[in-house]
Amino acid sequence: MAETSDDKAVVVRDLVRRFGSFVAVNRVSFEVRRGEIFGFLGPNGAGKSTTIRMLCGILRPSEGAGSVAGFDIRTQTEQIKSRIGYMSQRFSLYEDLTVEENINFYSGIYRIAPDRKRERKEWVLRMAGLADHRNSRTSVLSGGWKQRLALGCAILHEPSIIFLDEPTSGVDPMSRRRFWNLIYELAGRGVTVFVTTHYMDEAEYCDRIGLMYRGKLIATGTPEDLKHRFMREEVLEVGCERFQDALGEIEKLPGVREVAVFGRGLHVVAEDGETVAAEIRTLLAEKGFCSAHVEKIVPTLEDVFVSLIEAQDREESAEAEVRR
Amino acid sequence: MFERIREMLVKEFIQVLRDPRLRFVVFLMPVVQLVVFGYAVSTDVRDVATAVYDLDNSVTSRELVARFVGSGYFHVAEHVVTEDRARELLDRSEVRVVLRMNKGFGDDLLRGRTATLQLLLDGTDSNTAGIALDYAAKITQQFSRDVLLERFRRLRGAAREPGWVELESRAWFNENLESRNFFVPGIIAMLVMLATLLLTSMSVVREKEIGTMEQIMVTPITPGEFILGKTVPFATIAFIDVILITVVGVFWFGVPIRGSLLLLFGATAVYLMTTLGVGLWISTISRTQQQAMMSTFFFYFPAILLSGFIFPVANMPRVVQWLTWLNPLRHFLVIVRGIFLKGVGPDILWPQLLILAVMGVCMLSLAAARFRKTLA
Amino acid sequence: MSSSSIRRTCALARKEFLHILRDARSLGMAIAIPMLMLLLFGYALTLDVDNVPMVVWDQSDTQLSRDFISRFHGSRYFSVRGYARTYREVEREIDSGFALVALVVPRDFASRVEAGRPAQVQMIVDGSDSNTATIAMGYADVVSLTFSQDVAIRWMQSVGGPSFAPPLEVRPRVWFNADMESRNYIVPGLTAVIMMVISALLTSLTVAREWERGTMEQLISTPVKGYELVLGKLAPYFAVGMFDMLLAVLMGKFLFHVPLRGDAVLLFAIAAVFLAGILSMGMLVSILMKSQLLASQIAMVLTFLPSFLLSGFVYPISNMAKPVQWISYAVPARYFVALMRAIYLKGTGLELLAGEIALLVVFGAIMLALANARFKKKLT
Repeated sequence: MAETSDDKAVVVRDLVRRFGSFVAVNRVSFEVRRGEIFGFLGPNGAGKSTTIRMLCGILRPSEGAGSVAGFDIRTQTEQIKSRIGYMSQRFSLYEDLTVEENINFYSGIYRIAPDRKRERKEWVLRMAGLADHRNSRTSVLSGGWKQRLALGCAILHEPSIIFLDEPTSGVDPMSRRRFWNLIYELAGRGVTVFVTTHYMDEAEYCDRIGLMYRGKLIATGTPEDLKHRFMREEVLEVGCERFQDALGEIEKLPGVREVAVFGRGLHVVAEDGETVAAEIRTLLAEKGFCSAHVEKIVPTLEDVFVSLIEAQDREESAEAEVRR
Repeated sequence: MFERIREMLVKEFIQVLRDPRLRFVVFLMPVVQLVVFGYAVSTDVRDVATAVYDLDNSVTSRELVARFVGSGYFHVAEHVVTEDRARELLDRSEVRVVLRMNKGFGDDLLRGRTATLQLLLDGTDSNTAGIALDYAAKITQQFSRDVLLERFRRLRGAAREPGWVELESRAWFNENLESRNFFVPGIIAMLVMLATLLLTSMSVVREKEIGTMEQIMVTPITPGEFILGKTVPFATIAFIDVILITVVGVFWFGVPIRGSLLLLFGATAVYLMTTLGVGLWISTISRTQQQAMMSTFFFYFPAILLSGFIFPVANMPRVVQWLTWLNPLRHFLVIVRGIFLKGVGPDILWPQLLILAVMGVCMLSLAAARFRKTLA
Repeated sequence: MSSSSIRRTCALARKEFLHILRDARSLGMAIAIPMLMLLLFGYALTLDVDNVPMVVWDQSDTQLSRDFISRFHGSRYFSVRGYARTYREVEREIDSGFALVALVVPRDFASRVEAGRPAQVQMIVDGSDSNTATIAMGYADVVSLTFSQDVAIRWMQSVGGPSFAPPLEVRPRVWFNADMESRNYIVPGLTAVIMMVISALLTSLTVAREWERGTMEQLISTPVKGYELVLGKLAPYFAVGMFDMLLAVLMGKFLFHVPLRGDAVLLFAIAAVFLAGILSMGMLVSILMKSQLLASQIAMVLTFLPSFLLSGFVYPISNMAKPVQWISYAVPARYFVALMRAIYLKGTGLELLAGEIALLVVFGAIMLALANARFKKKLT
């Protein structure tokens, strides 16, 4: 079956994966367009890695269907594997081999033509900034270098789609920034990037995100979409001195859905932003919290996500009640 | 502190016991190995396959053959009539011995001359060949003396006869000389050593390799507690193995156990100190599980060979015999065989117990010290 | 196999080689252990018994009894360590292991022999080491029988008869191993054992290690084929194994002077076939277990046990219980040991050995096929 000229790089319909009685991925459906950077967000254990593994063809789905680069994820896994790049969650390079030896190995594994080999190797070394370290054992590299090298090895064969499973976990912010620059560069060349992460700020870098929680995909959309359309409540930013103490007071207000510390202040989630803002101002003045300011802000993705998760939790416990 | 140790113990036990494959390896396999050993190892030489190449075919020659058969040590597989056939049987290892008597054998003996019996032996298994040769010598000596006396009687009449020596041999501890009784107690020593060595060294290094070691070390647990946590479960498993093997050995194979069970367990405990110590020490010098495994075998194979398990220490060159004093398996074998077969107690076995105890303490302290150093 | 397939396999083999070389310690041991074992077997280990420690309780204390005892003392088989005066002493010496054998000569030894009756000499043997005990008893039998025969001859002479020579002369000839050196018996079989154990152990770790480290997950997401992985990983260990074999043969020849009567090329060819099968078995264990700890234990039992016990290497198969003999037919090391011995000691050629060689080939093929079949490019 030839690659479709379709716009869709990844299509997933009602994908399910069970491990015994535990449902890791529960009827997940979504699509990823060519050249998109699609981010898969969610807490640990949400099912992100499991989904990615099914898409890469290294884990068999229990139910459902999907295609990657036009090939069926159940029956055409080998064709998929030659067209994608995968960076697994655990560090996947060989510690006792040097940087160059690792690259040589992977270029031998993919069908890289001999005349291109050298070129690709140099490109990866430059991209990862490891040109001077080509003879170092990977075991001595720090986190950021390793991640870039792993990415490089995954794209040696210039795949059209790459799957990155938590590529920046445990890496310093500078390196993370650098890594994402690379991803942008790749996306700019038309590579579809499917990345999972639990860093909310990274989610902002994606074209579209999918939020996963407990095996279910509870929302998809662009970051803007999610911030503006998914959140029913509004978010207020509250700043004052002794804000940790203020938290206890604000919590007791009716209409306040949620209060949480955020940076050097508080984020308050409420249905009716205006009213609650006024109430808070009064309260703070009464209790003698000085230099207070209350402002309605655009929710951050974290706010959105927390609210969605809680909604999901409420829905599930309600269902459980009904069943009982 | 006890909670921490208890937590570590619980974790280790869970790790070992929850995985059905590991359970199988750790409990069932020693028994399987014992059974295989028990049935396979045998240096007993009985019913040696023999070919008879009797060109004489007289009463006398047949009588000699009958004596060979009657001894129970030899059984005639074939009467051959050509030299080539005899060769073929030896080549194919269908027989190990060929008895050859030329024409005139019986005649020679009757006329008071010396007759020759040719014995062809397959020497590839030199141990069996040697023993077979001894059996043959015994039979032929007896035959020879009988012929001699017969000749004498014919010349001088039925007068007095010369006296002779009747040697009555009795084997103590293992009356029927079953090699199984020799090996089975030794298997306990061997298997226990392997299990504890391999499990201890590899499981500690595994944590290093996977990275969970760092995680554990960040907790308030002390190296000493960690060591206890790692060694106690495997010691327990080893004890269970000892019980299992003893039970199977005694009830299935009928190996006698004449000494004190209490002493057996006590000695095992001391022995375990040395093996666990070595296992631990190996884990401190290995970075990967592969290294731990290779180092374990580097220690284990020579230890088995130089322990007296198969090859007696007394047969080894002097220098090597001295070396074996350093081998805990050697001493434990003496103890185990003493308890099972001889029924002796600490009054006889105390030197071995003492040596093991000293070795055990040294080894454990050495390993623990090194352990602390590599972590700190 | 297409060219890209070959390239992938080569990439995998090269990587595996690097792994082996980088772990100098393991490589060193893979070579040192066989050499060490060869040295031990060649110089230190033997079932041949001499100088069995003996304690004597001479209740007779006559010229004749001392004569009798000196036959033991003078032989290389026994070494009299002490003289006991009571049964308790004898017991103690045997219990403690100071002596393996006790000779008890009765008080009426000389008088009975002179009177033409049998003298009952008792020999107590420590039976725990049954092999040594059997051999010792055999020696003792021969000594006392020879003594009896000499007594008879002397007596006949003294009564005025002609001098009689012992009527029966035995001429033993040992084939294939004329000096009956247990070394010649052991070295050819030992090479088998060593190769088996070391190589299988190493391959048993390799796949499991990648699963444990996480690099396998990465590999299975690439277009690498299962059989490329298996072959690529086997190749370097095959090289190590053949190198071990070469070392063993050279040591056998130059250090131990074990004669190699047959065709060396045939020897190595057979070794290669055997090695391929054994390595595949190790790989299979690694593929199935996915845990290094488990794989090593199982590989140990599957290789060490059978090759030591059931291959005829130390214990002749014909001495074993029937059911075990049948089991040994399924042990590849059995055929390899037999082939090694046949080529070393008997100089047998290809024609006679074809059957066993075919079996080894079949074994190798099955193991390789299984390893390939069971390797799945999927998680769990």
